[in-house]
Amino acid sequence: MAVASLAQAGAEFAPHGEVDQLYAETRDLRLLGFLMFLVSDVVLFSSFIFAYLYLRNSGQGWPPPGIGRPDVALAALNSAVLFGSGATMHYALENWKHGKFTRYAAFMIATIILGILFLSGQAVEYTKLYFQEHVSWAGSGIFGASFFTLTGMHGFHVFVGVWYLIVLLLQSVHGVYSKDKYFGLTAGTLYWHFVDVIWVVLFSIFYLI
Amino acid sequence: MDQLAHIERILAMAGGIIVAVVSAYALKNDWKTPGLDNQVFKVMLALLFVGAVLAFLAGYGILGTFPKAA
Amino acid sequence: MAVAAAHVGGIADHIHPEPQGFIRKYIFSLDHKIIGIQYLVTGFVFFVLAGLLAEIIRVQLMHANGGFVSADTYNEVYSIHGSAMVWLVVIPLLTGGFGNLVMPIMIGARDVAFPWLNMLSFWIFPISGLMLFSSFLMGAPVAGWTEYPPMSLQAQGFGTSMWALAIFLVGVSSTLTGMNFLVTMLKMRAPGMTFTRMPLFVWGQLATAPLLMVATTALAAALAALFMERVFGVPFYDPTKGGSPILWQHMFWFYSHPAVYIMILPGFGIISEVLSTFSRKPPFGYRMIAFSSMAIALFGFMVWAHHMFVAGIAPFLQLPFMVLTYAIAVPTGVKIFSWIATLWGGSLRLTTAMLFAIGFLILFTLGGISGVFLAAIPFDMHTNGTYFVVAHFHYVLVGGSLMSIFAGMYYWFPKMAGRLLNEALGKLHFWLFTLGFNGTFLPMHWLGFMGMPRRVATYDPQFQFWNQFESISSFVMTLGILIFFANVLWSIKYGKKSGPNPWGGRTLEWMIASPPPYYNFKHIPKVFARPYDYSQPLPYKGLEEELTTAKPEPVPAGAH
Repeated sequence: MAVASLAQAGAEFAPHGEVDQLYAETRDLRLLGFLMFLVSDVVLFSSFIFAYLYLRNSGQGWPPPGIGRPDVALAALNSAVLFGSGATMHYALENWKHGKFTRYAAFMIATIILGILFLSGQAVEYTKLYFQEHVSWAGSGIFGASFFTLTGMHGFHVFVGVWYLIVLLLQSVHGVYSKDKYFGLTAGTLYWHFVDVIWVVLFSIFYLI
Repeated sequence: MDQLAHIERILAMAGGIIVAVVSAYALKNDWKTPGLDNQVFKVMLALLFVGAVLAFLAGYGILGTFPKAA
Repeated sequence: MAVAAAHVGGIADHIHPEPQGFIRKYIFSLDHKIIGIQYLVTGFVFFVLAGLLAEIIRVQLMHANGGFVSADTYNEVYSIHGSAMVWLVVIPLLTGGFGNLVMPIMIGARDVAFPWLNMLSFWIFPISGLMLFSSFLMGAPVAGWTEYPPMSLQAQGFGTSMWALAIFLVGVSSTLTGMNFLVTMLKMRAPGMTFTRMPLFVWGQLATAPLLMVATTALAAALAALFMERVFGVPFYDPTKGGSPILWQHMFWFYSHPAVYIMILPGFGIISEVLSTFSRKPPFGYRMIAFSSMAIALFGFMVWAHHMFVAGIAPFLQLPFMVLTYAIAVPTGVKIFSWIATLWGGSLRLTTAMLFAIGFLILFTLGGISGVFLAAIPFDMHTNGTYFVVAHFHYVLVGGSLMSIFAGMYYWFPKMAGRLLNEALGKLHFWLFTLGFNGTFLPMHWLGFMGMPRRVATYDPQFQFWNQFESISSFVMTLGILIFFANVLWSIKYGKKSGPNPWGGRTLEWMIASPPPYYNFKHIPKVFARPYDYSQPLPYKGLEEELTTAKPEPVPAGAH
């Protein structure tokens, strides 16, 4: 049964002979391992999200006295930027799978640029909050604590993700991946989508509700 | 300040629509792909669609709060 | 090479190349068996250190107004004792230790899914342990292993923050191990080994792996928040700044309750194997034991607030936790009865491993019963924070987890070392340990009823007699443990040679040499049935060459 399931997993990679079966099985292991990593990362964010919702609900009213609700305009734009990068990432991988390297590279670069734009947007948002609204990480009660911790964790994940994508792009230029063997790109895409999905949740709980 | 927020909202709406359409289209095209990673991609594309809709609605003004008039 | 073995292809035919040189073989090893031994050795070293802390506790408590250590030092001692025993001893020994050592062989694999990650997971462990003990030098944490705020926020010095860092780090090791094991068990089983043909020890690890992955990450969040609050002043738990100490309790116990299942489920697996082998009978109710393990793992996430009955949470919230806690006793009870039925009518061989397994049945059950008492909210309101709780968790953790670890050691030592542990010393260890253990922890039940609070360096003189009794008993227990270590050290060199299968076991680890070669199997076997049908021929095909000197099938070098 184990062999049958592994063979099924390898089906889209059309294994012929020993090496391809080895690659297919190895890829299967790596995929599951990477998904487990994403699951644990989701648990990490969920724990902090629980903490935020618990504290927010603990009866002081929201937003806490002295702090206005965060403005959604910039955040909405930033969200659109990040979601856009998710779309470009999807097409980057699609084009790679169809062997269209130039288009793949263009979409990858677009994703990276949009990711950097998102980070810049967050920097602007942080600056606004700190200098205009006087909201700080440690000095603004649970609002500052939860907002900066969660968006900071997320921003860190985006930062790491941008580097990851740059490395993948350079690797693909150097021929590390082929039309049939490109697990690194798959993992990168999964990671980037994960970062997007976390932002959907954070955007909703900090700006929309 | 108000001007800037106005531009941001319009761009957010535009971006939201574009991404929503693109991700819905990609989801429809990839609906039948097999394999664990593709299933995960489909879920994520669906959530991306949701996010884009939320960004659009936020830009439009239905959700979230806005900068007070100067 | 005309062997009728399944030529499986793929991962089953590949293994990382044979390590050369001392460092690659024994220090930075990719081999799950060596890593397993490293975990066992390191875990036992921390066991000795944490045990010394326990003896400091017992010496202090010999007299009602004992002056062996100051009250502050006493607080540090029990805080590190608890933290070390949970995170540096029991969890690593059962998961990283026995899990690594035996599980891959039992499923017919050559190694775990991610050997490099495995090595990384191991090396994080001693480093984090050193970090934890170093907190003694910077004002060790004083609020118990549970470190509730506000006390954990107010403790002076860097020690509590160091505690948070150290546990965070060992949590990373745990999480990675859980991921590694889960992928291994899901994807690398030998051909023909369906889930219901896996040995019960593997089921125990399969139930534990998702807990390691999911629950530990929740603790990481709680610790990170504590660290940020202590070091940077970011308010999460300080009520004067809008935070909530109850938040810490929720986040901490959401991990720490599943943690206790992490500390027992692999042990359940060991007991199933040992009882079956030494009764020469299949485990009674194999599927019940397997599925109840998964049920316990799942339910384990739903009962955390039974540690918070006196924390001031709303009564309507407390009730579901009480009900679920009672419910979780059911799958555990199912296993106890299944194990008793396994023994019933069996051809018993009372080896030391078997003695520890039978001792486990009795003592863990006692611990479980005191747990059922504690599950009742009104009862808990009287006994929370007293020695009754201390009695309960020591019965399940020492009478349960630690006994299963000893059982596993006596059972699998021959597989690792090629030599048997001395049986006479083993039996001496067992009896001294069991007598000493019960003398130490049984009176704690009534001390709790009499009102003796826990975590106190001095106490009312009415409790003195039993405390002295307990302290002296603890020395007896320690003597037993020292005999165990002497046995291990002696037997490594001078123990009787064991051969591949000294116990007549039928799981796959007994089909290969003791100690096993780095590649585990010359040919990955095909599996036809569960291993436990003692009257039937072995349910494997392809193992004919394992114990011969035939050259292994060329195993291509190169890690995948």
